Amino acid sequence: MPVSPEKQSTLSTVEILSQGMVINVGPQHPSTHGVLRLILTLDGEQILHCEPVIGYLHRGLEKMMERRPYRHNIPFTDRLDYLAALSNNLGICQCIERLGGVEVPERAKYIRVLLMELQRIASHLVFLGTFGTDLGATTMFLYAFRERELVLDLLEECTGARLTYNWIRVGGVPDDLPDGFAEKVLAFVKVFRQRLKEYDQLLTRNRIFRSRTQNIGVLPKDLALAYGTSGPVLRASGVAYDIRKVDPYEVYDRVEFDVPVFDRGDVWARYLVRMEEMHQSLRIIEQVLRDMPDGPVQTKLPKIFKPPAGIAYSRVESPRGELSFMMVSDGSPNPVRVHIRAPSFVNLSVLPCLLEGAKVADLVAILGSIDVVLGEIDR
Amino acid sequence: MTYFIDGLATLFFGMLVTWRNLWRPKVTVRYPYQKRPVPPRYRGLFYLKWNEEKQRLNCVGCTLCAQACPTDVISMVKLGKGTNASVSEFTMDLGRCMFCNLCVEACPFDAIYMGPVYELASERRDACLFRITDLAQGGEEAVRKNIETIQRLMAEEEKAKPAATHPAGGHAE
Ligand code: SF4
Ligand code: SF4
Repeated sequence: MPVSPEKQSTLSTVEILSQGMVINVGPQHPSTHGVLRLILTLDGEQILHCEPVIGYLHRGLEKMMERRPYRHNIPFTDRLDYLAALSNNLGICQCIERLGGVEVPERAKYIRVLLMELQRIASHLVFLGTFGTDLGATTMFLYAFRERELVLDLLEECTGARLTYNWIRVGGVPDDLPDGFAEKVLAFVKVFRQRLKEYDQLLTRNRIFRSRTQNIGVLPKDLALAYGTSGPVLRASGVAYDIRKVDPYEVYDRVEFDVPVFDRGDVWARYLVRMEEMHQSLRIIEQVLRDMPDGPVQTKLPKIFKPPAGIAYSRVESPRGELSFMMVSDGSPNPVRVHIRAPSFVNLSVLPCLLEGAKVADLVAILGSIDVVLGEIDR
Repeated sequence: MTYFIDGLATLFFGMLVTWRNLWRPKVTVRYPYQKRPVPPRYRGLFYLKWNEEKQRLNCVGCTLCAQACPTDVISMVKLGKGTNASVSEFTMDLGRCMFCNLCVEACPFDAIYMGPVYELASERRDACLFRITDLAQGGEEAVRKNIETIQRLMAEEEKAKPAATHPAGGHAE
């Protein structure tokens, strides 16, 4: 039965949308970097509407944390953003330290910053590798993971694990750096500077790569701010906002580094921000190793740690953005409430806006450039 | 035209990187046949430290490690009491363990450590359950000797004690 002209103008959004073709991407799809499902409504090549579905990895982490003593919760944060486990460890430890008024020794602060920047490099290298494969540059994947292996070897030597480090404790770090660690890190910095140049030759110079990323998935500044995005996604849209500068923690106020900002807001800018951040991380590492004082690395705490009643909030700049923890204490050994602000979760929320009107072929580029980790989104 | 030249430059620089990498030493190992060295701090399978001098395990069965564990991996049966105590059973359900090192840090007697063994996968579920004979350094023999030592020490203590304290106290067990 033909629809009358009056009826046609009153079709609801759902009815109009249902005219497009609906396809599912994920939850098991190599380009979604985890178990993310996207319901796409397509009109030919164009994406009309995108609806991300999350929750496949939900473990009820916040509730689990409320049922355990404070320090038992640190290993669980490894499983949030599994590509940057140390950042999560630092986030929760800082929060507990604020809650209990625990002082951290100087040397421990420097060690923390050193590990944090190594972790940032490792995480950005995963981004680089997977982003390269998503766009068809498989070589990049192999090279990036080869260098990531060097970072992981360093972290393994220091912490004893390769992915779930669990090496930050309330009141410091559990142990000093192993012997000769500084030299090894400096040797890595030297090698990695040169490798970064190679990446530039391989990808940044690459005509095809540039065509596939420039002016794709543009996120305007006001939209980025309105959605509350953070990290490289926000800085690629022209906002110089980095927790390490705005609200310095540990010793970030004592080291010199630049915050890379680009105005374009497209996939290309997000890629460039991360590349530049790796350069800056190397700078921080060198300064930290130069200035690191001697001394103890951990404050002694009572066996049963009971912070006074109160509420604490702390934030760190994880490789993906602003990661913050909030904890409420009532003076008992367990927290009453824990809340985690996961940067990937907030950054993912702009995805439907970015994908509206984009081509299907650009989907993986846009999703890859946001660099989400599903462990953190679903927690 | 610029597009074309750019494309050629891409090819050139890409190949340059490839050429350079051609001469670098290879980074992969043929895993099951070749293995990479494990750093001393590596957190693999646990072991209970054997004290050669005292002929016993360092563990005194204080359960501090079990209390420090977030996922209740460790359970034990204490043997003896006081300073001469040790464990007759020490079971770890590694199916639940996340190798977080908290138990090792909690131990005040340097009794439990994490070793370099990492190939722990199994087809059977009960293979995740590690008993004291699997964990103790020196295996079954160490466990047997440990029990002997503790029993001997306990007996010595008992012998020394009754003269000083009430006769009604000991010997019940
Ligand atoms: S490593 Fe962690 S999870 Fe495993 S037994 Fe020790 S405390 Fe428990
Ligand atoms: S391993 Fe250490 S902490 Fe655990 S029961 Fe033995 S002595 Fe106590």
